[in-house]
Amino acid sequence: MRKQVSRRALLRGMVGVGGAALLAACGGGSQPAASNEAPATSNEAPATSNESPTSAPAVVSETGSTVEITYWGSFSSSSGEAEQAIVDEFNASQSDVKVNYQYQGSYEDTAQKLTAGLQARSVPEVCLLSDVWWFKFYLAEAIAPLNDLAQAEKVNLDDYEPVLLNEGLRNGKYYWIPFARSTPLFYYNRDAWEEAGLPDRGPETWSELQEWSEKLTKKDGDIITRAAFGHPNGASYVAWLFQGVVWQFGGQYSTPEFKITLDDPNVARASMMYHDSVNVDKWAIASQDLNKDFLGGAICSMMASTGSLTGIERDAEFRVGTAFLPKETYFGCPTGGSGMAILSSVPAEKQQAAMKFVAYATSPEKTTFWAKATGYMPVRKSAVTSDEMKAFFDEHPNFKVAVEQLPQTRAQDAARVFIPGGDQIIGKGLERITLGGESPEPVWKEVTAELEKAAAPVLRDLEAIS
Amino acid sequence: MTASTVSARPKITRTQLREWVTFWLLLGPNLFLFVIFTFWPLFYNAYLSMVDWDFMRVRKYWVGFENYVTVLTDRHFFTILKNTGVFTFSCVFGTMFLGLILALLLNQPLRGRDAARAILFAPTILSGAAVAIVWIYIFDPRYGLINEILGLFGGRSPNWLGSQEWAMPAIIIVYIWKNLGYAVVIYLAGLQAIDKSLYEAALVDGANRWEQFWNITWPGLSPVTFFLSVTSILSCFQAFDIVKVMTNGGPINATNTLIYRLYELGFVSFNAGQAGVVAMVLFSIMLVLTIIQVRLGERRVHYS
Repeated sequence: MRKQVSRRALLRGMVGVGGAALLAACGGGSQPAASNEAPATSNEAPATSNESPTSAPAVVSETGSTVEITYWGSFSSSSGEAEQAIVDEFNASQSDVKVNYQYQGSYEDTAQKLTAGLQARSVPEVCLLSDVWWFKFYLAEAIAPLNDLAQAEKVNLDDYEPVLLNEGLRNGKYYWIPFARSTPLFYYNRDAWEEAGLPDRGPETWSELQEWSEKLTKKDGDIITRAAFGHPNGASYVAWLFQGVVWQFGGQYSTPEFKITLDDPNVARASMMYHDSVNVDKWAIASQDLNKDFLGGAICSMMASTGSLTGIERDAEFRVGTAFLPKETYFGCPTGGSGMAILSSVPAEKQQAAMKFVAYATSPEKTTFWAKATGYMPVRKSAVTSDEMKAFFDEHPNFKVAVEQLPQTRAQDAARVFIPGGDQIIGKGLERITLGGESPEPVWKEVTAELEKAAAPVLRDLEAIS
Repeated sequence: MTASTVSARPKITRTQLREWVTFWLLLGPNLFLFVIFTFWPLFYNAYLSMVDWDFMRVRKYWVGFENYVTVLTDRHFFTILKNTGVFTFSCVFGTMFLGLILALLLNQPLRGRDAARAILFAPTILSGAAVAIVWIYIFDPRYGLINEILGLFGGRSPNWLGSQEWAMPAIIIVYIWKNLGYAVVIYLAGLQAIDKSLYEAALVDGANRWEQFWNITWPGLSPVTFFLSVTSILSCFQAFDIVKVMTNGGPINATNTLIYRLYELGFVSFNAGQAGVVAMVLFSIMLVLTIIQVRLGERRVHYS
């Protein structure tokens, strides 16, 4: 028998399918589930502006001879105030360019909003992008080469710290200008150190830290009440901190050609050190909030970004010491943090205006101001050797450690910074070893497969660009 | 058979035609919105789930079912499905069970009843992110409120958010706490709508309180229970904010749910295709649940 579609059946079918789709779609309410919803996210951007009304980005709106540009940044609280101060001083110092600073949230939030903005063709002129994000926008050809713009602005690129500047170099062009650059630093509680009768310095090697840990770790029965060292969780850039440790043990995440090298026995040794510190020898804990546990005295030492230094020195109720990262076979320390990029889709006039601001924000004077206010590295050679910075170092010797460590740092492995989601994929793997107590080899084997899969489109894009 | 089918085909009469025109005129405006905001994203997502795209590249590479294979054979996918099931079931059941009990209590003429209602409902209207921040403090194993309270009795707080065993219970507690007030208010309204004369009749017949509940209150509340089960399941699948702020799906994958995985794939790894697959899985589950609910609803729910 031929079945005729009744109106009732039709309606019911539509409500059924549509209802389920609605439920599924509502599930994604907090974040746009499909890309065509994405523009909604970018529309929020002007609302988050904390300074003066903004015009729609990417539209040339000249009032007199002033070019208005928008800058998306990722700093809040005291760092955010310092960044706002740089913008305000820039706006007051000249009348050609007016910058509207818009805070976007974390590095991840900023990258997400920029992605959405590109889809909606509503982007800022300048955007702050972190070490793991700028490359993605370079691959999409969304950010502009800056050599000509810098030359027109008479920016002395030779004065930038080469370790930092060259990370943004692709095919002879600069795409990413260092601004809030950092390295991991070894932080220790000098009071706890003194109480344990240890010399007032960081450990030379991880073995030495383990030796010292017996005097630092306090236990109440089986429970550690104070650990010698703390590891962050997978969501907190643990793969960045572990990057240095892997190098120290003689391994690496990957070659620059994207060959994943996590099967290297040295990587397994480094992972086992993390594994044992938590699961076997129990002198370290996995922390949910590293800075809080350090300040609260639950851990005596940690590796953390130089960018946290000002905040930690201000908030600690004990004396804070900083040192180079511990060594093992080698010394190893990655650079990190964020830099500024200019969007390729905005008109040339606006790009030039944007470059004027980037040059100002990374000028020797402003990078000094920024470094003092936050703990991030001064990105200019002349700033490091300036009298102002020297006087500051004398007053705050902890800051000097970070700058002294800088020449020995190196750019990170492609697996973490160039593969989309690479940081999280490696971080989760490490968390399984450290917190989950799994043995390294099988975990890294799975992580390798995942990274290789994620790297495939990057390699294809790279080929298309060159 | 075939021949008879053709000959039995009814002819469309003028009246029927007119009815269809009216039908489409009435349906049209709604259908238009429905197609744009529900069906189009659905089909577009189905398309996205079969391409390799990073939300930015101009070209989308067609890969067919490769994304499905990748996502569904992922070693952690089963864990994530299980987490979603445990979370949804615990939250829906917990919210409705506790909600019903509290509603029954608050339906009594007790002192301070209105204040209690207001307090219970308050968490529902708070922002999920703010609630999560407060609960991070409460759950903190060293400085947290729970640890302080347990400390009074010589106990010690588990490492709620930092351990794989306790993270999911912690998230469920917060979620139930946040949504309980809503269930209470809806149940209260349902209780008030039940005809009082039924209870009087039951008293005359000598029914005890349990018999009253089982024969009058529970059936009388069935439309409310049905409504709540639908909305609770919806909001549990939506539980993103609290997970994002409190655990980021961790430790390891202990609190990773389908919706969080969708976020991870879509907006951390920027893999539109694989995120699309997760969205399709979510959609299929919701479709099955909706069918079951509609069927059950037709049969069991008692509208007086």
